[in-house]
Amino acid sequence: MKELTTDHISQQFNNELEMLRQHFLTMGGIVETQVQDAVQALLDANGELAEEVRAKDASVNELDGLIDEECTRILAKRQPAASDLRMILSISKAVSELERIGDEAKKIAKLTSDLIDGGESPRGYVEISRIGQMVSRMIHDSLDAYARLDIDAAIKVAKKDREVDREYEAALRSLVTYMMEDPRSISSVINVIWVLRSLERIGDHARHTCQHLIFMVKGVDVRHVNVNDLADEVKGV
Amino acid sequence: MSEAKTHSIDISAMQRSQQALRIEDETVCLSVKDLHLYYGEKEALKGVDMIIPEKKVTAFIGPSGCGKSTLLRCFNRMNDLVDSCRITGEINLHDSNIYEKGTDVAELRRRVGMVFQKPNPFPKSIYENVAYGLRIQGINQKRVIDETVEWALRSAALWDEVKDRLHESALGMSGGQQQRLVIARTVAVKPEVLLLDEPASALDPISTLKIEELIHELKNDFTIAIVTHNMQQAARVSDYTAFMYMGDLIEFGDTNSLFTNPSKQQTEDYITGRYG
Repeated sequence: MKELTTDHISQQFNNELEMLRQHFLTMGGIVETQVQDAVQALLDANGELAEEVRAKDASVNELDGLIDEECTRILAKRQPAASDLRMILSISKAVSELERIGDEAKKIAKLTSDLIDGGESPRGYVEISRIGQMVSRMIHDSLDAYARLDIDAAIKVAKKDREVDREYEAALRSLVTYMMEDPRSISSVINVIWVLRSLERIGDHARHTCQHLIFMVKGVDVRHVNVNDLADEVKGV
Repeated sequence: MSEAKTHSIDISAMQRSQQALRIEDETVCLSVKDLHLYYGEKEALKGVDMIIPEKKVTAFIGPSGCGKSTLLRCFNRMNDLVDSCRITGEINLHDSNIYEKGTDVAELRRRVGMVFQKPNPFPKSIYENVAYGLRIQGINQKRVIDETVEWALRSAALWDEVKDRLHESALGMSGGQQQRLVIARTVAVKPEVLLLDEPASALDPISTLKIEELIHELKNDFTIAIVTHNMQQAARVSDYTAFMYMGDLIEFGDTNSLFTNPSKQQTEDYITGRYG
């Protein structure tokens, strides 16, 4: 993104864009930790850590508001065009994705507290650990892609979401089978399913973030393009 | 990614850096009290009260004939030159009323410099243009003049472009350069306030951006008041914006708020292009 925020005749405009970019990446850093901590808290049955994750949500919401204001102000005062305009629009949308990732992490933390209070689920932790790692990686890589304007990395993250979906469906099938065999486990297994569902949504949000990045760099809207066609779609531009 | 690893993140510091300016926190440079101005029978300013904060950029916007240029000219008594013009009320530069009897108008205009819409360099060399104000002040040591000319040209972001041709005619420069030269000539006499009346409206977009960037730099040293037809320009360069209409000051506030959420319907209509 470096070449996008420098080189304007107006140094002030450069500063505003750079500040926006910094705030966005900072917010990304917070939600990335939030997701990792939420999964870790669940695996370790660590109620304190879960509480921390929930507390961080306030910071995420504040940053969400702050970045929104910055975008509004830049649009009103600078009338950005072309790549600048796409950067503002893209960050403005991606920031909502990050905010929702934060919300999902908060949900996982809440479910963790429920599981600690109501008794652990007999199944599902292996899946949570695996999918949790996958989506944390996706968030990390998508933020990295944003920081370096790396389209190839963005496409990789988007493709990774397919794997997450497959893992999620497989986990769901096995947990449903388990619940049919042992109905007493239903209430705790349901909580695990909610966690998996949140992780799956986090994967979607990470993919959307990358799609916003592709729009920013290439100017093509790939939100409704099949992930397998992404590379071709972007190549021609 | 290093940002992601930072654990204690001070969000309130980020918010402070984005906080709106507050006029109450500013040092007053010029204050206008109940200013009425008449051209013959016509009342062009209908009781304006406001302040121009020190070392900030204050922009005046409004449709043609709203009185914004008239108000700007009041700040260094340029309206004295109009025969039918009559003024009541007061304007204080720091603590002294500039309309007081016995005010040295020439000295006032040194302290409150002005740049107009069309660049008006003198038909002299670049160097002599900038040195002009110093010479009429009686300064004639070459070393002092050399230093001031360089400082003024640097302040106006022009030095690098002209340092090898200081003794060529100023009329050979481009419009944007001429306008920056005029700004250099104005700042050379170290005024406190710079009044800019449509300083970029005769320039191309890139020269305009250069002037805007220059304005941003100059506010470190000077208090700036700028009249502009281009409200996007006001949004870009100013800290405070005043919206005028038919001789009234309708709204005056920090630029961020005024352009994102104005408090008066008239301002909203004007900046969104609904009337004016």
